[in-house]
Amino acid sequence: MRKIWSLFRKELQLYLFSPTSYVAFAFFFLVLGYLFSTAFLGIQRVEERLVYNSMSLLFLFVTPMITMRLLSEELRQGTDELLFTSPVNVLQVVAGKYLASVTVVLFLLAVSLVYPLILTMYGSVDWGKLSAAFLGVFLLASAMMAVGIFASSLSASQMVAGITSFAILLAFWLIQTLSDALYGGSRELFQKFSPIFHLNDFEQGIVDMSHVLYYFVFVFLFLGLSVQSLEKRRWR
Amino acid sequence: MLEVRNLSKRYPGKRGIEAVQFSVDRGEIVGFLGPNGAGKTTTMRLITGYLSPTEGEVRVDGQLMTEHSAKTKKKIGYLPESPPLYPEMTVEGYLRFVADLREVPVREQKGRLAEVLERTGITGREHQLIRRLSKGYKQRVGLAQAILHHPDLLILDEPTSGLDPKQITEIRELIRELGEKHTVLLSTHILPEVEMICKRVLIIDRGRLVEDDRPERLSRRLEQGFTLALEVKGKPKAAEEILASISGVKEVTRREGGSEESVKLLVTLEEESDLREQIFYAMAEAKMPILEMQRQDLSLEDVFLKLTTAEGGQRDA
Repeated sequence: MRKIWSLFRKELQLYLFSPTSYVAFAFFFLVLGYLFSTAFLGIQRVEERLVYNSMSLLFLFVTPMITMRLLSEELRQGTDELLFTSPVNVLQVVAGKYLASVTVVLFLLAVSLVYPLILTMYGSVDWGKLSAAFLGVFLLASAMMAVGIFASSLSASQMVAGITSFAILLAFWLIQTLSDALYGGSRELFQKFSPIFHLNDFEQGIVDMSHVLYYFVFVFLFLGLSVQSLEKRRWR
Repeated sequence: MLEVRNLSKRYPGKRGIEAVQFSVDRGEIVGFLGPNGAGKTTTMRLITGYLSPTEGEVRVDGQLMTEHSAKTKKKIGYLPESPPLYPEMTVEGYLRFVADLREVPVREQKGRLAEVLERTGITGREHQLIRRLSKGYKQRVGLAQAILHHPDLLILDEPTSGLDPKQITEIRELIRELGEKHTVLLSTHILPEVEMICKRVLIIDRGRLVEDDRPERLSRRLEQGFTLALEVKGKPKAAEEILASISGVKEVTRREGGSEESVKLLVTLEEESDLREQIFYAMAEAKMPILEMQRQDLSLEDVFLKLTTAEGGQRDA
């Protein structure tokens, strides 16, 4: 546990040092602020969805920026040799790094709470619905971070890792649009795989455990794949 | 202390190592020698558990690396070829991080840190960013990292590569000191280094262990007749003829240098013959005084070349 904590702390510290994370934060807040303002001015009404509607799309771009460094940089610097010759297992390394990226998600969401606060100045806000939506976005973003870590375990180049994670995430997005184009059984099948689809209920203010479970499985699947991909390097 | 048995690592389409076998006793400093690409780093990575072997086993203190990896890894301190540092961390932050990874109890960490900073000579720089350190200091931080958890076995992969002469001397001194307490296996392709620090040499070539002995014994064993360097006053041609006529002389070659009146020669003798006296009298008789005569021992460098080029002849790239 102490090792995971130590790895986690190190990653958070490196976030503060890396210019990429500042670019990611700036991008997220600027675009979110812009979209919120224009939408709010457009409809002139207090609606909760103004706050979270665009978030999932923003995470599509922010996730690669936040996660691409995590394992690639260790592989490039040769510091993986330090980690994996220490009495630490691969799972602990992946867990520490993953928790750091999830903390960044929490930070982004926490700062985004200014928008509902702005809304309260113009009318009353349904905090219950908002909490459900924020929980949903948090779960979605956490799932996306797991994809990012997996992509980062594949290459010693941050660039390649970033592009890979963007491609995988985009593929999940496209599953959603594909399911929109279908009907009946195939539509339902594709929807089940789409991380966006599982967000819908949260945005309506409904917390359904089956959706929560979906995100958990998603996270464990991709973290498991990351562990496998790192283990494989030893046997190459 | 360390036992490597029948260790092989095969890569598809690339040479790894094949059936490497040796053991190292507690307190030994062993040099691991070989040309670039011979398999030194691969062997070390297998010993430290960074890579898994295709075949064979590594035991540290009798424990199998593949079975008790966490326990075994705790006993090893490892400095890879390029020190595994995070440039954005401070020296202290980095060493604390490593201490956590290696399970050094929190209350002991402060003392340990002070101790390794002192031993590696980086006290006073603990608050600097690693990025800002010179190459020599980075190497020291790398060493500090390797000894932080008081490992029994130290594996150092080319610890002096890329340093300036002064730093090299300092690092060597440090390794020698460390050798008093720890068992050390260090790889290098610089031969004098091995002669200076190590009591035993392993030579690896093209993935196979070709020699395992003490440095001075190695050179003696491979000494097939020694060579004399001569400077003789007189005509080159005549001198060569006289020397060649002495029985037991294998070859006479002319060396660069010498003045107008003298000639410098290299005389190779047959195995186990010492002809210095005969040469002296022969030259004296011919009124060609010897100005200089020196016996040339085979340096480890020559031994190394002999071993790694002897078999097979041409080397595949």
